[in-house]
Amino acid sequence: MPDISYPLAERTLPNGLRVLVSEDHTVPTVTLNIWVKVGSRDEVVGRTGFAHLFEHLMFQGSRNVPSGEHFSSLLAAGGRLNASTWFDRTNYFETVPKGALELALWLEADRHSRLLDAVTQENLDNQRDVVKEEKRQRYDNAPYGNAMRDVYATIFPEGHPYHHPTIGSMADLEAATLADVHAFFAQHYGPNNSVLTIVGDVTEAEAFELVERHFGPLPPTATRRVEGAMPPLPPLTAPVRFEHRAAVPNDRLYLAFRLPADGTTDFLAAGLALDILGGLSSSRMVERLVRTETIATGLSAHPMGLAGGVSLGIISVDVLDEVDPAVVERAICEELDRFAAHGPTEEELEAAVAETERSWLSALAGQDERADQISHYAALYDDPGYLNSFLDQVRAVTAAQIHEAATAYLLPQQRAVVAYLVEPDAGGSESPGDLTSVQAGVAQ
Amino acid sequence: MSTDLGAPTAAQPVAQPETGSQDRPVALPRPEVTPAEPFAVPVPIRHRLDNGLTVLSYDMPGQYIHSLRLAIPVPVHQEPVDKEGVATIMARTLDEGTARHTALEFARLLERRGVALGAGVGESGLSMDIDVAKRHLDYALDLLRQCLTEPAFPQDQVERHVATRLAEIEQERSVAGHRAAAEFWSTYFDPTARASRPVGGRAETVATVTRDDVVAFHARHIAPDQATLVIAGDFGGIDVIDSITRALGGWTAASAYQAPPPRPSAEVASDRARIVVVDRPESVQTEILVGCPGPDRRVAGGWAPYPLLGFLLGGAPTSRLDALLREDKGYTYGVRASFRPRRRDGVFHTSGSVRADATVDALRLLLGVLDDAREGFTAEEVQHGVRYLTLTAPGRYATADAVADEAAALAYDGLTTEFTGHTLRELAGMDAERVGTAYRRFVDGQWTVVLVGDAAGFIDEIRELGRAAVTVVPT
Repeated sequence: MPDISYPLAERTLPNGLRVLVSEDHTVPTVTLNIWVKVGSRDEVVGRTGFAHLFEHLMFQGSRNVPSGEHFSSLLAAGGRLNASTWFDRTNYFETVPKGALELALWLEADRHSRLLDAVTQENLDNQRDVVKEEKRQRYDNAPYGNAMRDVYATIFPEGHPYHHPTIGSMADLEAATLADVHAFFAQHYGPNNSVLTIVGDVTEAEAFELVERHFGPLPPTATRRVEGAMPPLPPLTAPVRFEHRAAVPNDRLYLAFRLPADGTTDFLAAGLALDILGGLSSSRMVERLVRTETIATGLSAHPMGLAGGVSLGIISVDVLDEVDPAVVERAICEELDRFAAHGPTEEELEAAVAETERSWLSALAGQDERADQISHYAALYDDPGYLNSFLDQVRAVTAAQIHEAATAYLLPQQRAVVAYLVEPDAGGSESPGDLTSVQAGVAQ
Repeated sequence: MSTDLGAPTAAQPVAQPETGSQDRPVALPRPEVTPAEPFAVPVPIRHRLDNGLTVLSYDMPGQYIHSLRLAIPVPVHQEPVDKEGVATIMARTLDEGTARHTALEFARLLERRGVALGAGVGESGLSMDIDVAKRHLDYALDLLRQCLTEPAFPQDQVERHVATRLAEIEQERSVAGHRAAAEFWSTYFDPTARASRPVGGRAETVATVTRDDVVAFHARHIAPDQATLVIAGDFGGIDVIDSITRALGGWTAASAYQAPPPRPSAEVASDRARIVVVDRPESVQTEILVGCPGPDRRVAGGWAPYPLLGFLLGGAPTSRLDALLREDKGYTYGVRASFRPRRRDGVFHTSGSVRADATVDALRLLLGVLDDAREGFTAEEVQHGVRYLTLTAPGRYATADAVADEAAALAYDGLTTEFTGHTLRELAGMDAERVGTAYRRFVDGQWTVVLVGDAAGFIDEIRELGRAAVTVVPT
């Protein structure tokens, strides 16, 4: 495999802002991507969902930018932009024609340092309403929409930073105040708690000069989050489960496992094990449950990398109508046992690595995703060069390491099961409305 | 629930918010944007193999993953009416075993070199997608050849995919957006039109599909002479036409093959201008879908105003619909509007989910925005949208998969990305007068409206709006 090698230059400004630049002159555009080291894991009791609500307010104006103008001025300059919030971070990004890079930097610098002048009760109330509709649309009014929330609540203990979902709860969103906005900004937003990446049609020298011009004068006001401080969370020692009866179209099971934190060889090995078990079309569980025994209509497995001492592995399976979900769960557990006993074959390892290579290279094909990966591994793992070394690391994982990871992290007794089961008298075709009810056992 | 609103933690600030900005340095003057370089949408090199297969190739240096898209204009309206969905089952079983390999063996062959292969059927026809690392291109092409020319359609795999599609139909029904779309098409089109029914078939038709049906459909409709293969990626050091010729040059039509007849125009229902409520008790949101006839890409006066109109009305938080319904009212996470071309004619679609108790006001305001737009757009609005659509083009067509997707979508319509380039040039010279005229040409206030939500909460007031006849159907 001819190795990819994207250029990468790095500088840390005196105020603590870490800046990464990767030149790419194939297209006359530039991506600006900023990771702030704050996510839903940093939220406090009673304010779940706040990191994400705050992210929305970042589009409502800052000292020199009237409400709505961040969007409109970048759109008019040919920018595509958005932001997102996740457990470990919040990211802000835009891809613009290169002639608009300085405008983008100016807009970002203004909101990342001078946001609070423009925040009003009216903006907060409006974006709170928007976020509540986002929650309803994506989670509460969708079949299985809250299943992942239930997975987090079941596998992570009460009080653990990953126990609650990024979208938060309606009650907590309702409770957010302007004072919360001010405090959150003061604590988390500032150059010393952020990483800024530029990828595209600009020279390293130009990029550093522009970033220094607009971000250099900003004081290091944030409380810098130290990575690697969350203690490891070991695997479960006995199965736990949460069952939810609802008007879903078919029974669906989520089997979740605590994996090692991302950025480690153990995590890579566990991720490859999940691919081999259920992540590929030729995977063992797909072959057995979906193709041969036809007791499931679909099965997928994937790792979800997290930085705080633990990651998640998820196997989800749609149970064929009239098949007992217990039969499906038992078959999955048998495959986990079988894998733990014998490990992968060379052919399986080859497929898992090949699929990882393709999806990684596809992801890096665009400047926007490339910038996001650079920020990601710089912000959370102090390893911006990860985009160039990742495939070598994956290829270096041995069958023995995968086998070992499976016996350490993917045993049946280490599973948390969330079952969404068809309500007996509802059939598969009723309203999903009652999915919004929060069941006993889901604590937020 | 442990949510405890009465126990603020240390992070809760005191009652008086601090201003927090006194110590922040003053911003530099707002920078000017320097003009963008001229951009040309990638255009293909066109090649035709002796068997009739059209190849459109896009050399894109630095794109290590090659994207291949095979577009075959399979006419779904030719599916037997009691077997609708057979084309979809055929597409999904093309890689479930070939003359030489079982389904599992074939899956392993694909994955051991990281070949991502997908196949599906849409309104326009069959599509097969491959993404593969450049060094495995020949390997992937050989597997594509096997799927196309010697699929085995094993009985058990056909049965499995029928069962999977039946489960999928139930899943789609449970998702408000899907349910709204299905109800929209059945209301908007005349019942005689294939387009009034799901492309993938209904439960009663899919359930009857057999292996023989799949085999027959494949023999009758899958052939190279109307097909287009798009390939985009870094071609440095390789000859992609030579590779494609070696792999697919021997692909020929079966004796049962019938070239597709002209596609019939889908008839719009004479009573399409009405409101249909799909009743879902206890829904916390209402899904709204509103539509009316729109143009196809060959519309007199040109296609260019229509992507612009979609952006101005429902393409961003600054667009008219979101400015009102999201940023002002807070009723929704977002409302999207777009003109969707079909081979002949098209549809103008607007959709979004709104808070259940705001359903009536949201619909009233939404229709108001769409109706008021008949009065036209300001020069400033038009300029804003033109700049967005033209200046984002380099980024939107920067990757192999994006170019291949665009080229394949156009191939069904007998076009290439030259059309995309033409549209962008037309857009650059657009003025408000043309935009307003283009909108009024299709939008006359006669809307097909579908609402999926808790009817009891809004049905009387929806009737009182007096927009159109209202019917309620079960979910």
